[in-house]
Amino acid sequence: MLVIRNLHARVDDKPILKGINLEIQAGEVHAIMGPNGSGKSTLSSVLAGRDEYEVTDGEVIYQGQNLLELEPEERAWAGIFLSFQYPVEIPGVKNIYLLKAAVNAVREHRGQPELKAGEFLKLVREKLKIMQMDEAFLHRNVNEGFSGGEKKRNEILQMQLLEPTLALLDETDSGLDVDALKIVGEGINRMRDPSRSVLLVTHYQRLLDIVKPDYVHVLADGEIKLSGDFTLAERLEREGYEGIEAA
Amino acid sequence: MGEFYSVAVAGKKQQADTGTKMIHIGPRTRSTIISKGISTARGQNAYRGLVKVLPGATDARNFTQCDSLLIGDQCGAHTFPYVEAAEPSANLEHEATTSKVSDDQLFYLRTRGMSEEDALNMVVNGFCKDVFQKLPMEFAVEAEALLGITLEGAVG
Repeated sequence: MLVIRNLHARVDDKPILKGINLEIQAGEVHAIMGPNGSGKSTLSSVLAGRDEYEVTDGEVIYQGQNLLELEPEERAWAGIFLSFQYPVEIPGVKNIYLLKAAVNAVREHRGQPELKAGEFLKLVREKLKIMQMDEAFLHRNVNEGFSGGEKKRNEILQMQLLEPTLALLDETDSGLDVDALKIVGEGINRMRDPSRSVLLVTHYQRLLDIVKPDYVHVLADGEIKLSGDFTLAERLEREGYEGIEAA
Repeated sequence: MGEFYSVAVAGKKQQADTGTKMIHIGPRTRSTIISKGISTARGQNAYRGLVKVLPGATDARNFTQCDSLLIGDQCGAHTFPYVEAAEPSANLEHEATTSKVSDDQLFYLRTRGMSEEDALNMVVNGFCKDVFQKLPMEFAVEAEALLGITLEGAVG
């Protein structure tokens, strides 16, 4: 599904990723953990195509194609979804309008017919229920005045609607209280599928208790220092990043 | 009740200087002005408006809102609200905002499958919503389409 080889990236001449190697197969859930400033968010941004990051070396192959050549929207059409750490406000644009435009943009490029208003509303209501969100959400402006938890739920709602092949979830657990964490975690679990892969970026183990990853990687100073199974996350929680790095 | 709603776009090296005059003649008259200015490329957009309250127009009220949207970093926006009130009981309000289409907004929408141009159109139409929603449906659709054409090539 996704192969990252020797990926180097920098922002404003400051190297952030210094040789990432990672392979994700279909159906797998990988968690990337690491201290602040280790490059976790940079990795997900580079994969989604944010252009303030300059890739200086390495390659990323997604479903056999060179991902780095694609524009962000082309990546979305190819089934990549990024859940933002800080979802962006779009004043004056209703949430439902964005959701519908996004779903139909992706459908168009997958050769599926555009959803009619009624069909779309039915679909979105079903997903709102899963995320335990009120219908009033649809008529508020995109992320404007949303609480931290509401923004994150809205991201996972979008993921449910867009049905990506590769979901990049950047600190989707930050800013969530216990109940919201459970809703978001279960929302992610529902999306687990043999044909779909997930890359979870997180600081803490708490989300991983709900969404059990197949692999855990520790990112520090722009490199993957350690990889393992779920028990690595438990070890991190006990010993901290410093304990792991010293070992 | 007087109402004035406008959307003005200044692109290339254009300098636009647009606005309205709202003159209150009778007592207890009310008016609203909502003006949206969009600047792209090296365009400079100015709103210039006069709200005048004549003698005898007691308890006149006006609310003016001027919002400016900048696309890129070589354009500018200016607001010149003139007020002349001959009655001390007049109540005149003016609100102005300036915002910029951010790379984050465009990137967010592009990761949701929208082309760069569609993403810009969505942000700009959201900005103009207060005005467009006052228009009859058919006009609003035309206005949005026209704005889309006007802004072609504004990003990238």
